[in-house]
Amino acid sequence: MNDLNQTEKTLFIGIGNYGRSDDALGWIFIDLLANRCDQYDFEYRYQLQIEDAELISKYRRVFFIDASHEPIENGFSIYECLPTPSGSFTSHQLSPETVLWLAGELFNAPPKGYVIGIRGINWELNHGISNEAEKNLKNALAYFQKWVN
Amino acid sequence: MKKKITIDPVTRVEGHGRVTIHLDEYGKVEDSFFHIVEFRGFERFIQGHPYWEAPVLVQRLCGICPVSHHLAAAKAIDQLVGVDPQDLSPAASKLRRLMHYGQIFQSHALHFFYLASPDLLFGMDAPVEKRNVFAVAIENKELARKGILMRKFGQEIIQAIAGKKIHGVAAVPGGMHKTFEPKEREYFLSGKDIPNIQTMIEWSQEIIEFMKGYHEKNRELLDTFAAFPSGHLGMVDDAGNMELYHGKLRAMDSNGLITLPDVPTDEYQKYFLEGVERWSYMKFPYLKEIGREKGWNRVGPLARINICNAIPTPLAEKERQAFVAFTGKRVNNSTLYSHWARLIEILHCAEAINELLLDDEIMSSDLVREGKPRLEGIGIIEAPRGTLTHHYQVDDKGMITRCNLIVSTTHNNEAMNQAVKWVANNMISQKGTITDGMLNQVEVAIRAYDPCLSCATQALGKMPLKVEVYNHDDKLVDERFKSN
Repeated sequence: MNDLNQTEKTLFIGIGNYGRSDDALGWIFIDLLANRCDQYDFEYRYQLQIEDAELISKYRRVFFIDASHEPIENGFSIYECLPTPSGSFTSHQLSPETVLWLAGELFNAPPKGYVIGIRGINWELNHGISNEAEKNLKNALAYFQKWVN
Repeated sequence: MKKKITIDPVTRVEGHGRVTIHLDEYGKVEDSFFHIVEFRGFERFIQGHPYWEAPVLVQRLCGICPVSHHLAAAKAIDQLVGVDPQDLSPAASKLRRLMHYGQIFQSHALHFFYLASPDLLFGMDAPVEKRNVFAVAIENKELARKGILMRKFGQEIIQAIAGKKIHGVAAVPGGMHKTFEPKEREYFLSGKDIPNIQTMIEWSQEIIEFMKGYHEKNRELLDTFAAFPSGHLGMVDDAGNMELYHGKLRAMDSNGLITLPDVPTDEYQKYFLEGVERWSYMKFPYLKEIGREKGWNRVGPLARINICNAIPTPLAEKERQAFVAFTGKRVNNSTLYSHWARLIEILHCAEAINELLLDDEIMSSDLVREGKPRLEGIGIIEAPRGTLTHHYQVDDKGMITRCNLIVSTTHNNEAMNQAVKWVANNMISQKGTITDGMLNQVEVAIRAYDPCLSCATQALGKMPLKVEVYNHDDKLVDERFKSN
């Protein structure tokens, strides 16, 4: 449970699924980061939902980490995402941009948002990530640690 | 020219369904169907698993109401270890109820605020870009904010007991594995960290007032839209009052005549059969004695309020009395009243949660009871969407040999088809141009039942929206598409 006095904190939300091969990249990224850093908060999600807007409104910065289907140079990317209303009809699966937008719209406090995408290859039902995904994960983690420092 | 209109899938519902409406050459509706086109088959693949896995496995049927499946399965599994509902420890019973009320509270909040409210706020003919919760967030921030916080409250009740908001584990054969901690109780009562249970009760009352205001302005619409006679089924306690966790099954017809007189849940097979149709994976349950044509029942909030003598919490009971006063205490057969009934249940659950949070027994460590093992177990509860049945048989090693699930939405299958027919006949037939608003009315009618199509067929799927119009030769003549 999160209290209401966390506005200075940073939140990492891993999006994925351990049971879907490389879709676990977002979760493994925060597993590894959580082992090295205890000053951050971490959450695991299969997908972002509307309630996450209320959660992130209590933070100054939020990082969304997800596996990427698309080819990415160096196997990963980090970019700032900006609050954007959704054009989708479904409320079951929101983009980081929409969650940021809702946090601002309803709770008057959108944090700074960043998306870390890590290239995955395999998406079938299976535990464990592919070799290429593991390489991308290590590179992303090393780069990220330098970047935040 | 004859036409076939397809809405595929229906949006702002849980899961994946499709509607087809067949028009003749004069634009008159010939027939309509609500198809459920997904299939997963939990009933089959759970066979061969040990019985104690059932409450954990079956909750994967759904991400919205996993607690309902967990608890219905748990009640059945209790019987397999020889523990009937009255033999559970008081603490285990109360913790299960607390979790169950939290589940109904959050599920109803999700349905009303996220899925249904755009139709009420903006109208059924509103432009498609307005028919979603994001438009609600722009135009009625307070409503959207409260909806989110109410859903969160229910989810956190579940998390406190089951460890997770979705797919947590709380029930074990014969009881519960975790009690409530004093600090957890304080979290929900104090209001220091989150809006507390008293605030939830107040907000539930506020949203009922909102609905009453809507009713006042739109009474004709609520009275007539998708209104048709049907049976109503639900659970009641020994006094005939609304009961959501364990009681007896009661059904009445559209005029209020009792068709199922408070029978024990374990005897459900004596009274129900399930029909099938070639155009849907979802079955059609009905009362044996009345037959397939007229023996089907609506379930869920409207049915529960129709069949009960009273609601056993004072504020919700007062609202029930106001609700039934509009029909002169006659059975309410109007589909859109489901929303109002759902809000009264939100209030009931908030009151029930409050009572349980103030009960010290939820912190007792007397959690598990044992009995003499049996080979068959039946668990029936009132899930958010209605009466939910889990029935298991095991061999002498405790491996599941048979599983029968009658999911709430399945009971509503015929009612949803009737609702679609009503809209097709009254809003689309011989109207010339088929507008997006007309097609949305089909979805509004289905949506009022808060169907969980994934549960009903135990299915998995994406939800793009595709509307197709076919002529009598089945050639596509018009098409609209919304991507996921």
